[in-house]
Amino acid sequence: MGTDRFCEELTALLPRLRRFARGLTRDAADADDLCQQTVERALRSRAQWQAGTRLDAWIYRIMRNQWIDEARARTRRAQTFVDADQGAGVGTAGHQDAENVVELGNVGRALGRLPDEQREAVMLVLVEGFGYREAAEIIGVPQGTLTSRLGRGREALLRELGEMA
Amino acid sequence: MSVTPEELAAYVDGELTGVAADRIAQAIAADPQLAARVEAEQRMRATLKRALDPVLAEPVPEDLTLMIAAFAAAEAEDDMTDAPVIATAKSSPAPVVDLAAARARHERQHPALPARRWTKRWGIGAAIAASLVLGLAVGPQLLSRGPVRDQGGTLVASGTLARGLEIRLAADGPGGQSLKILASFQKDDGDFCRIFEAEKTSGIACKQDGAWRLERTVATGTRQETDYRQAGSAQAELLNAAQAMAKGDPLDAERERAARANGWTK
Repeated sequence: MGTDRFCEELTALLPRLRRFARGLTRDAADADDLCQQTVERALRSRAQWQAGTRLDAWIYRIMRNQWIDEARARTRRAQTFVDADQGAGVGTAGHQDAENVVELGNVGRALGRLPDEQREAVMLVLVEGFGYREAAEIIGVPQGTLTSRLGRGREALLRELGEMA
Repeated sequence: MSVTPEELAAYVDGELTGVAADRIAQAIAADPQLAARVEAEQRMRATLKRALDPVLAEPVPEDLTLMIAAFAAAEAEDDMTDAPVIATAKSSPAPVVDLAAARARHERQHPALPARRWTKRWGIGAAIAASLVLGLAVGPQLLSRGPVRDQGGTLVASGTLARGLEIRLAADGPGGQSLKILASFQKDDGDFCRIFEAEKTSGIACKQDGAWRLERTVATGTRQETDYRQAGSAQAELLNAAQAMAKGDPLDAERERAARANGWTK
């Protein structure tokens, strides 16, 4: 695929990438940052994409890995902050939760209570519509691991969102 | 017939086909509890989608599309000869033709770029985005090769800078070149001017009496990812200055090319 085609397809993917980012971060500003970083990474590592494989899965993997890195960095920052404040308990996580409510309502809250690994599985399969195999490849785990994370995430969401409909 | 929650989920997720899918479908038809469970799953999915799908309809931030467009334009130019800054238009017309072709190709594929509004016409977003993607522009360091000389008290461009100002088009996009033209415009007196960005210095140069006089220069600033706002502010300063100097809008691609063909004379 030539650069033009690659860039066209990447551009066409942007709305979906933004949706995935919103689900992962549950915050509009964080999601935009994540998209920006993802597109930068995708353009920089364009040579690593193998023609004949799904471009969308490749870019979702970049986004997912980028978010994991970011989440780890946040955890470290939050811990440092808490240590410095002698356990005052104010970190980025609490702040973010307040914003979630505004962005995605009950769904954002419910997604926010899931562990990261369940949230990404839920997002990839139930929202983004990837098959189990693709979703497992994006996350980089065996398919059985994916389905078990998905199952737990699904149960939790059913409990929380079940009565809403 | 027993159906595990995993099987039921796989059925709802569309992972089962053929006989396996038929078996679950029959079980659901025969068991109201299973059917209720499937319905709950589908409602939950619908709830997720209702919350998240509106993101699909949101306008995509321009930063993103510009970043990708700038990358595509830069690659397209890399495919062309990289001779234009080295050769002059007169001694070697070929690069000019190639650049025009690249520009036409780019416009065909990205009709939205360049946009017609002033602020968009400057391509600042694209330039910043390209800096993000490409990192520091490579190429000869203009200042060390003496791009500027003093001509009767006025700074005029010489060497590589002068040739780049003469030949390069804003519509070329930033490319991997050390010199980028951000926009071209005409002053009140009709002189043609160009906003340029080179590795170390950016500025506005106007063609007068056959020479590119530097009307204004600023340090280009650090074009590294973390500092892109800094680079942007240098450009914004030039934009404001240019807007004050200019008569009307910046040249569109066609007028810019015509002006180049005419040697940037009034």
